[in-house]
Amino acid sequence: MTPLGWGRRFLVCRPAHFTVAYEINPYMHVQVHPDPERALAEHDGLVETLRLAGAAVEFLDPVPGLPDLVFTANAGVVDAERFVPSRFRHPERQGETVHDIAWFEDHGFCVVALEGDEPFEGAGDVLPFGADPAAGRGVVLVAGYRTRSTVSAQTRLGQLVGAPVRTLELVDDRFYHVDLVFCPLDSRRALIAPQGLDRYGCRVLERLVAEPVWLADDEAAAFCANSVVVGDVVVMPACTPRLGRILEAAGFEVALAPVGEFLKAGGGCRCLTLALDVSLSGPG
Amino acid sequence: MTAASEVVRLDGHVVDSLLLAKVLDAIVDAGATYEILDLEMGTTAVDESHVRIRVAAADEAALDALLADVQVHGVNREDASDAQLVAAPADGVLPADFYSTTNLATSVRLGGRWVRAGRPEMDCALVVHDAGGTAPVVDMVPMHRVGAGDPVVVGWRGVRVETPARAADAEGFGFMTSEVSSEKPKAVSLGRVASALTEAAERRARGDGGGRVLVVCGPAVVHTGAAPALARLIRHGFIQVLFAGNGFATHDIESNVLGTSLGVSLGEGVLSEHGHANHLRVINEVRRFGSVAAAVEAGWLTGGVLYECVRAGVPFVLGGSVRDDGPLPDVISDTVAAADAMRGELDGVDVALMLATTLHAIATGNLLRAEVETYCVDINQAVVTKLADRGSHQALGIVTDVGLFVGDLADRLCGAGPGS
Repeated sequence: MTPLGWGRRFLVCRPAHFTVAYEINPYMHVQVHPDPERALAEHDGLVETLRLAGAAVEFLDPVPGLPDLVFTANAGVVDAERFVPSRFRHPERQGETVHDIAWFEDHGFCVVALEGDEPFEGAGDVLPFGADPAAGRGVVLVAGYRTRSTVSAQTRLGQLVGAPVRTLELVDDRFYHVDLVFCPLDSRRALIAPQGLDRYGCRVLERLVAEPVWLADDEAAAFCANSVVVGDVVVMPACTPRLGRILEAAGFEVALAPVGEFLKAGGGCRCLTLALDVSLSGPG
Repeated sequence: MTAASEVVRLDGHVVDSLLLAKVLDAIVDAGATYEILDLEMGTTAVDESHVRIRVAAADEAALDALLADVQVHGVNREDASDAQLVAAPADGVLPADFYSTTNLATSVRLGGRWVRAGRPEMDCALVVHDAGGTAPVVDMVPMHRVGAGDPVVVGWRGVRVETPARAADAEGFGFMTSEVSSEKPKAVSLGRVASALTEAAERRARGDGGGRVLVVCGPAVVHTGAAPALARLIRHGFIQVLFAGNGFATHDIESNVLGTSLGVSLGEGVLSEHGHANHLRVINEVRRFGSVAAAVEAGWLTGGVLYECVRAGVPFVLGGSVRDDGPLPDVISDTVAAADAMRGELDGVDVALMLATTLHAIATGNLLRAEVETYCVDINQAVVTKLADRGSHQALGIVTDVGLFVGDLADRLCGAGPGS
């Protein structure tokens, strides 16, 4: 077992302009507005939890009119010094990309566009798994498709970064990004919500993940898979006693960071962060 | 049933992601079939695999729906480009790189949609009407009928040809592709032709435009004494259209008016006196009447194949040749016009009997779409082989004397006896 080689440096965006202004997933209802102050407090709490767990946090400036900019996981994919920006499926979010690119350019990243024109929603739909330098094994990209990204785009990303891709069909609209059904814990373990996958996807993850932690229905629905792992700390939007015991038995510490206001827009802890210290072609 | 098929590609880590398994399962679940044409497996974890698959479904709509379903898994049509159109430079002249058709069902991709071309015919061009409109129409048009400026498909991109579906029963259409042999038991072939005509009658009864039976006759039909049996088949409604030439028509009339065929008495088999001119006298009389139908109406022609055609309203097309005496007034001596007249009678034809005719059988075979069940009865094995060589794959050759065969066929379908 090797701990994750990434998850010590994150990009976040304060929810100064966060709201639900449109409906592009089953959680969003324009009648149900998040409480701005509570959202800011929850976000501050998440940042504090990440810092306490040992992670550095950097900030993307919020932009009026782009309420979902807070979900930085969807900005793109980081691969060492490279940043591959997303191509949002919904026009409502496409305006975010120019701000994402500007931040990465300002911070010394080399911005590389993904070929083609098919939708692709960044780290929300691609998570590296399984790098174990001791075992001489590199990263495998666990990628979601159908709702927000396409198979072709994910395949192109694999070509670009030189990593094998496992494309999983997201069959349930409630789990519209792969980071709602899959969360790597270390080189052998991952949280998996089979509720969002079909039998092929489950079979692929059974083969890939040596010690899968399958989520129960309530855990999947509470976005338990949308957690952030910082070393041996799992920062979760919610956790059940059952899941907490499993994680603690595996040597992890659960840190709750309630983000209920963001759940109104369909995002949890993972969605609110983008790991900046990921290398897809090297050890994870 | 014609299967629609399409070659698709699937690239990426499709084996480890179980995408290939998922796609193949989806194809089977949809009731379609697949054939893996190429499978190039990546050798390392990072290498991609590449798969080419031919997907076949019951029809275009089912194929389109299936491919739309599996597209989300990264399945892409190999040929995803529209057909290229070039205007015909002059009447009867095609653009240099025109697509030359087969006798198989063909679709043309226009504006991202596949449009099925009209009745298949080999050696034609694909002409598109209303290419930019909402409902473009594609026709297979022979060279001489193309007009200046007609948009013609050039190259092969955006053209899809569908192979006929395999019959589910081994005794059915698969049987036809077996090689021609004089050794085959005739009773089996006879039974097959008889049931083809019976099944065609059932299709006609359904009234959906199919089930028309075409018979193509050579003069030997008359010489061998098969004409009365053929006349009975027409009288009993088994034949819907007839193609022949001046020779067959003349001998059919000669045998009924004078009792001879090319001067030879059909009753006694001996040359009658001055019999060599009998067919000319017959032609001359029909020319006097103005047409075969007029000769029937006047009561001069009172029996035979053409007589039954006129009585039953079965259209016949008589195509001319340079060897023709006369010819009969019904003969279309402009061969291009004759072929067009034959084309005009082919709608709904799905069974064709080629009786003792080489050139007319081949000329007709060229006009038929591949699905037409074609039975070629000839004493000469080469005729059947020739027909098959020209792409009429669905021809069942029956090497036998046409006189005996058609007689037996009529006995089986219409009951025994010439008067029945």
